[in-house]
Amino acid sequence: MAVAPTDVAVPGALEAVTGPSVGPRGRWRSRLGLWIPAGLVALIFFLCFVWPLIGPVGSPTGGNILEANLPIGSPGHVLGTDAVGNDEWARLLYGGRASLEIALAVNALGIVVGGLLGAVAAYLGGWRDATIMRFLDVFIAFPALVLALAIAEGLGPSEVHVIWALAFFSVPAFARLARAETLRIRELNFITAAGLSGTGHLRTLLRHVMPNIVAPLMTFALLGMGIIIVLEGALSFLGLGIPPPAPSWGNMISSGESTLSVTPRYVFIPSIALFITVVSFNLLGDALRSRWSQR
Amino acid sequence: MSSTSAPLSTPLAARAGRLSRLAGSPMLRFVVRRLLAAIPVLFGVTLLTFVVMNSLPGDAAQELLGAQATPAEIHELSIKLGLDKPFLTRYGEWLHGLVTGHLGHSLSSGQSVTSILGSDLPITFELILFAFVLSLLIAVPSAILSARRPGGIFDRFSMVFSMGGLSIAPYVLALLLVWVFAVKLGILPAIGWVPPDQGLGQNIRCLILPAVSIALPLMCFYARLLRADLLEQLQGQDYVVTARAKGAGPWAVLMRHTLRNSAFGLITVIALNLGTLLGVTVIVEDIFGLPGIGHELLSAISNRDTPVVEGAVLVFALVVVLANLLADLLYSALDPRVRYGGSPN
Amino acid sequence: MSANGLSPTGSDVEPLGGGGGAASVGAPLLEISGLRIDFHQAGNVVRAVDGLTYAVPRARTVGLIGESGCGKTVSSRAIMGLLPPSALITGSIRFEGQELVGLPERRLRELRGSQIAMVFQDPARSLNPTLRIGPQITEAIRLHSDVTKTAAHDRAVELMELVRLPAARQRFRQYPHQLSGGMRQRVMIAIALAAEPKLLIADEATTALDVTTQAQIMELLRDLQQRLGMALIMISHDLGLAASFADEVMVMYAGRGVERAPTRKLFEHVRMPYTRALLDAIPRLENASHSPLAAVAGQPPDLAHEQVGCPFSPRCPNATEKCREHAPPFQEQEPDHLWACWHPCGLERPA
Repeated sequence: MAVAPTDVAVPGALEAVTGPSVGPRGRWRSRLGLWIPAGLVALIFFLCFVWPLIGPVGSPTGGNILEANLPIGSPGHVLGTDAVGNDEWARLLYGGRASLEIALAVNALGIVVGGLLGAVAAYLGGWRDATIMRFLDVFIAFPALVLALAIAEGLGPSEVHVIWALAFFSVPAFARLARAETLRIRELNFITAAGLSGTGHLRTLLRHVMPNIVAPLMTFALLGMGIIIVLEGALSFLGLGIPPPAPSWGNMISSGESTLSVTPRYVFIPSIALFITVVSFNLLGDALRSRWSQR
Repeated sequence: MSSTSAPLSTPLAARAGRLSRLAGSPMLRFVVRRLLAAIPVLFGVTLLTFVVMNSLPGDAAQELLGAQATPAEIHELSIKLGLDKPFLTRYGEWLHGLVTGHLGHSLSSGQSVTSILGSDLPITFELILFAFVLSLLIAVPSAILSARRPGGIFDRFSMVFSMGGLSIAPYVLALLLVWVFAVKLGILPAIGWVPPDQGLGQNIRCLILPAVSIALPLMCFYARLLRADLLEQLQGQDYVVTARAKGAGPWAVLMRHTLRNSAFGLITVIALNLGTLLGVTVIVEDIFGLPGIGHELLSAISNRDTPVVEGAVLVFALVVVLANLLADLLYSALDPRVRYGGSPN
Repeated sequence: MSANGLSPTGSDVEPLGGGGGAASVGAPLLEISGLRIDFHQAGNVVRAVDGLTYAVPRARTVGLIGESGCGKTVSSRAIMGLLPPSALITGSIRFEGQELVGLPERRLRELRGSQIAMVFQDPARSLNPTLRIGPQITEAIRLHSDVTKTAAHDRAVELMELVRLPAARQRFRQYPHQLSGGMRQRVMIAIALAAEPKLLIADEATTALDVTTQAQIMELLRDLQQRLGMALIMISHDLGLAASFADEVMVMYAGRGVERAPTRKLFEHVRMPYTRALLDAIPRLENASHSPLAAVAGQPPDLAHEQVGCPFSPRCPNATEKCREHAPPFQEQEPDHLWACWHPCGLERPA
């Protein structure tokens, strides 16, 4: 949103955003710095993906209108119910699952397609590089919102379509980053050495280039988890994401907006969940990046 | 007296000398080359928009007349609006209009697109400007203070705070601000817009909450970026050691040496940000009811009002392209190594 | 013939007054004794300097020679207090009688530039690439004296002429990248001289330059030193350079001083096997073509680990069990010649 993927797809910016990389850190502080966010992320995933299958979680939809607007702490509904009687806790978990699925898919697409595209472009250089980047520039320049809107309007809002729409954000961003990183190492001696020893292009790319750019790409992907979740929320907020009654944090926030003055909890419960999730991913990204850069 | 013996110090000759140097200057060539390269991008963007708009179900005529209209009525209106012509013809006509300086007319209201954009753009522009100024006013001093004492109390606090600020979604922040300041405290308006000429004070009041919603994540981002850059110099660069060896104190080193150099990077990022920021404004304008260009785009899409969408998208894309160009330009212009060219003499 | 007995070509280096190197006229300008520097990094302690002792007399040149990582740069940065906070310094560094170790930062800042100055190895990186040359010099001037901008400007041009920078006035407004390596180093020297320091530390000042420029810069330094009566610490890995330009040589290894003597005495009677090996490693024109270069076998020790015995023993041809178990003390064994070795070269000792 304010910090779009393409802003951070610059090597320096990535480190800056993912946290203080300076100053000596004691062993314990680094350990905690890694395991706490990792634990949080694991917990979030567990709650959203596993817990509904094994634990006493109700259904996020099909609520009883007679049970509408129950406050927090009501019997049987620990976080209350929404305006039509659905259990908030269930909606929170299922909404989280939808948001996380989307974020994972979009980042996976980004890393694989974008990463490959960027690395190949930088590696080949010349007009091929220019063409690929021009092509991606169109998508960067294009207000992706319009595309997302159009996809939603034209094909109908659904989880898959949101993934497609957001992939148009993430693939160019990853491509840019991969390209910048590849350019940086292309000139390094071991690449030249590989070429001199007769290694073919594809092999050089796979065995020498890719492993060295994976670290910044992964850090970016972790940061991207937070960004994409927020973006997905934005789309759902505008009514173009996951269609109700299926929950997503974005559409929960959006439907809560109209009753903000009366029942602010409808906005703030998913907002807090969103915030905690994004912070956890950001902190995890920071911890992993400082680990990797110390090698 | 032959002209070749005329000294170069004569005004005319000097100006001619300067001009020819400018025309051949790498800077100008760079700008021209980038502008030329931007044209296919813009072309691609507008074409893509047209394709997308065209593929959406329904059309402007349908939207205008509503659900009750008969197919005959819709058909009649669409002929009037020129919607029956084939895709390429319509795009071609629009392009032709663009080249001659006309962006067409809104299919919904008939108003000229240029005038619509003309009234919307200043609002969005004011919002973005406000947000930028706000974010920089806080980010720059914060980064300097952090870099002065890394690991100190202020630094640790601001790192935690900025991590939070970066992680919060702008729409969540907007709603939070509305809830606190409009609902609970009632001191700022939740929605609405008052143009500056109808009262500057009111105008600013309408913009505060939306600007802060945008500015907060930005400010955290810039503060971290600047801080990281300053620290990288302070701890890694040899010229910092030289400055210290001269006897310069920490503030002198910070301000005179490192801040100058960091400014380049920051300016580049800000210019890049300009383009992506437009996406945020759509949501913020929606929440706060500001009649800016983002808002316009949203309603135009749902009205299938293609000329307005094209106009707005073109503006967006143009801003992104120009912002990128500006970023690259600023970076090279400010770096003396590029400006004064390399070879030692 | 110049005041301190050095001939212009530098080929005869005579010790000052009959071997009284350190005990020259008056107290030494700089006295380092028992200097120990530890770095604390992520739980490890690296002992970069271990008990370094030497002195620099006024207006003399001391050559500090050693391999990379032997502690020569670290020790000299400690003199100016330019080490990062992770460094723990113990021992004594006295400048004109004043103790520098533990001196508050404010006081150190007053000394930097005005009393002690430094010239660094890589002028390309040591000059701020986005500032013009002139302001980088005037900064050094104005930090220590209250002069007007114009006066500082003129003094800067004066300095640039002093360091033999061609077209000084024009250079003032140029950027570092517009100058060649040699010229940049002259600018660094001008910056260092700006506040008329009593001691100049040249840290591998010519290493990054080509041989011809190297000679020019060294000549310049020597000339300036004589004219300004400045003391010079010349840090290098090049023993040959020390031979030509230093009055006294201090050889370092693994953070310790291992041999110290006035230059001539050192080269005439090399005692430390390490110094011997360094000398032998210098390629000689007289040797037959394609004869292998005599390199010093092995690697310097890892300073993160405690040293037992003589640090050079793994690589030393004279090493015995005694060397590996007991570190030899660094002490004056012959008049004015100190070394740390149980089995020095050229001296018959019973096995």
